[in-house]
Amino acid sequence: MYNLFIFIKKYNAVILFILLEALCFVMIVQSLPYQNRKMVNMSNNIAGGISKTTSNWYDYLHLKSENEELVEQNALLLSRLGCDEVETDTVYYDDIFTYIPAHVINNSIYEMNNFILIDKGRVDGIEPDMGVICSNGVVGKVLNVSNHYASVMSMLNSYAVISCRFVENQYVANVIWDNESYKYGIVKDIPSHLIINIGDTLVTSGFSNSFPADIMVGIIEDNTDNAKGMFSTAKLKFSTNFSTLRHVYVVKNNFRAEIDSLCITH
Amino acid sequence: MYNTLIRNIIRFIVLVVMQVLVFDNMRFGNYIHPCVYVLFLMILPFDTTKWSLLINGFVLGMAVDIFSGTPGLNAAATVFMAFIRPFVINIMTRKSDLEGKNEPTITDMGSQWFIVYGLLLLLLHNLMLFWLEAFSIKLLGLILLETILSAPISLLIIILIIYVFKPVKK
Repeated sequence: MYNLFIFIKKYNAVILFILLEALCFVMIVQSLPYQNRKMVNMSNNIAGGISKTTSNWYDYLHLKSENEELVEQNALLLSRLGCDEVETDTVYYDDIFTYIPAHVINNSIYEMNNFILIDKGRVDGIEPDMGVICSNGVVGKVLNVSNHYASVMSMLNSYAVISCRFVENQYVANVIWDNESYKYGIVKDIPSHLIINIGDTLVTSGFSNSFPADIMVGIIEDNTDNAKGMFSTAKLKFSTNFSTLRHVYVVKNNFRAEIDSLCITH
Repeated sequence: MYNTLIRNIIRFIVLVVMQVLVFDNMRFGNYIHPCVYVLFLMILPFDTTKWSLLINGFVLGMAVDIFSGTPGLNAAATVFMAFIRPFVINIMTRKSDLEGKNEPTITDMGSQWFIVYGLLLLLLHNLMLFWLEAFSIKLLGLILLETILSAPISLLIIILIIYVFKPVKK
């Protein structure tokens, strides 16, 4: 403590100089719009650049598991190709949704509200509210977009809700996060007469314009009935592993504006 | 002592008013921006403490900033100049030269000394000011050009002002 006082006494002018310059700098950045934008831009660029470099290294180290995942996905797609041939003349599934591949360059899973940063932005055709999926299932929704980056509100966020459907019986429910573990979510608004079994599968309903139907969301982990009134809830294990998320696809709905124009707004 | 204080307050007000009303509206071409108000900081007495130099610099810069609507811009540059002033004086003079000398003015130190001293301070001040205005290292060439063109012009005007306001010797 004594040393600190001596230090302050010795360098008082330098300390005052630094304080005053810092004060000026803050005033400049806060009050002058051009300097302000430059500053925000610079900090974004630095943060984005660092995240991207580290993520490049991480990508390289995880090539093997990534490869395995791709092989799996390939197999899945091949199997789909076999059984869906009948429907191709009615609706072209791929005309409605376009998939934009992106890299995850920053990801959090332990906060109350978690966000993902991806390396595609407005230039690549990404807009707010688009859905984001990965090869294993649903990831989240695009929140903010800059020119080359976008932030995604992941499912691990207290504001995230997703409309789902039970594969076994086609009933619709909503999935939210349980706010505790990155592995589990909560299925709510299940009609209470419905019998839920452990292992039941939930996929997206396709009712929101952000996601195509039948994208995997998760599997029921715990069906302890705690019904209140007409609806009950259940615990769900996400099919997406948010802690190892590397490659995602942003879902672009090509008819979004048209669909939105039909929705009744109050 | 009392006399010095009043004289400095009047100097402060006159220089700020001059800068804001006259020289801020004066542009010789795109690159020349005369800064005259720093004269106040240049000719504060030798025995001014570093503390009061810095505070004076900040208040002076803020006074100009308030009128030109750029809070912090001129203040940052003047604070920087106030910080650098003791070093410049140290480099340019020996302790023994300062005996009997009151202020770093032309009358006390001679015109040759004052031109070098003023030019050094103005170059540093303008470099800081224009850098903060451009807020980017990519524009370094432009910043240097502005600085090199503005500082001598400012010094010229400052010397003219000194001669206009010089007290008549009896």
